[in-house]
Amino acid sequence: MISLTGKHATWAYIVARVKVMKRNLIPSDEYRKLLNMSFDEIIRYLEETAYKKEIDELAYKYSGPRLLDYALTLNLGRTYKKIQDVSFGLAKEIITEFLKRWDIWNLLTIIKGKMVGVSLEEIEESLVPVGSYTMDFWKSLIPKEIDEIIKTFEGTPYYEPLSKIGQVPLSEIDDELYKIYYSRIIAMRPSELALKLFVDFIKMEIDIKNIKTILRLKREDVSVDEIMKRVIPGGFELTTEECGKLAAMPWDELTKSLEGYWFGKGIEIADKDLSRIEIQFDKVWMKTVAKRASNYPISILPVLQYMILKKIEVDNLRILGWGKWNNIPKEEIETQLVIL
Amino acid sequence: MVSLIGDTAFIKGCAAIGAGLAVGLAGIGAGAGESGIGAAAVGAIAEDRGFLGLGLLFTVIPETIVIFGLVISFILMFAYG
Repeated sequence: MISLTGKHATWAYIVARVKVMKRNLIPSDEYRKLLNMSFDEIIRYLEETAYKKEIDELAYKYSGPRLLDYALTLNLGRTYKKIQDVSFGLAKEIITEFLKRWDIWNLLTIIKGKMVGVSLEEIEESLVPVGSYTMDFWKSLIPKEIDEIIKTFEGTPYYEPLSKIGQVPLSEIDDELYKIYYSRIIAMRPSELALKLFVDFIKMEIDIKNIKTILRLKREDVSVDEIMKRVIPGGFELTTEECGKLAAMPWDELTKSLEGYWFGKGIEIADKDLSRIEIQFDKVWMKTVAKRASNYPISILPVLQYMILKKIEVDNLRILGWGKWNNIPKEEIETQLVIL
Repeated sequence: MVSLIGDTAFIKGCAAIGAGLAVGLAGIGAGAGESGIGAAAVGAIAEDRGFLGLGLLFTVIPETIVIFGLVISFILMFAYG
């Protein structure tokens, strides 16, 4: 019956498109080659991949790591926009909801850029043209003063945290904005399997974010109350109460108790650098998403998996580019990459 | 009913209905199957033209069911038509 209503076909279409797009991602063994290349060689390598168009477009204006940065951002934005444009029905609704996180990214990019006096053109290059607002809207905000930008959001859920700019650290506002984004999704009451899979995916993402926050703040000896302020409520296994329990534990007990959670299996914490531990969580997260996506092949999960993999690739290339530009040893760069 | 139209006519009529159902239902089934496969094939071809041959091949696989239906309908029509 599902096939007769055409619902199946909607998912089959978008999943097939995304699966073909996934073939264009840089394979993990290629990173070994990239690590041995110089910055210019990396750019030349990328000119033979999906990033060629963006590098060619921006090469007359920028050079060095800025060129790489803006080309990667532009490519990521275009890829997401394409997925959003070619999907329809419930798939489009879910993808649009997922991409609303870029509203916060764009908003914070403009505000942070204005605060540190980055040129208007460079702020524009850092924007990702997806989410609930159009690129023209974001462009119209760039020349405005910060107060005016905040006023533009009056009547939206973002206004309250934004109005605190100048009174509290920007990282707190950042957290508040993302809490609004996540709370809107987890408040959904999924009636369909597709929506339930999406909500569960987001809840698992919250778990990963929360555990990273807890470990980072615990390392810095931050108080339990302060940690709890930064935690995002509504995780898959890490509910607010669970987070409270973990935050109250001493470091050794905390690291041992992680074994009991879905993201804690096989994680080696010992005395490792925190960024390496975070990468391990990212890998577990991606493995779990891949497993769930293969369990539900005709659903939103393969699409979300691709979107996350694309973001990871862009982040990896950015780290690689900046690392090579600053002559950081390849071993050190490698530890910062999420190679799946 | 039989006495009204006669044995032969009744059997011929049933065979014709059966033949129609065999092709019709097989067609609906194949269409339902093809909707998903066709959508996936179009999605893949939109991204990479290289999938055209494979996409077409997979899309017509459910058509074999219609051929079975057609064979049944021919048998019915030749035997009782």
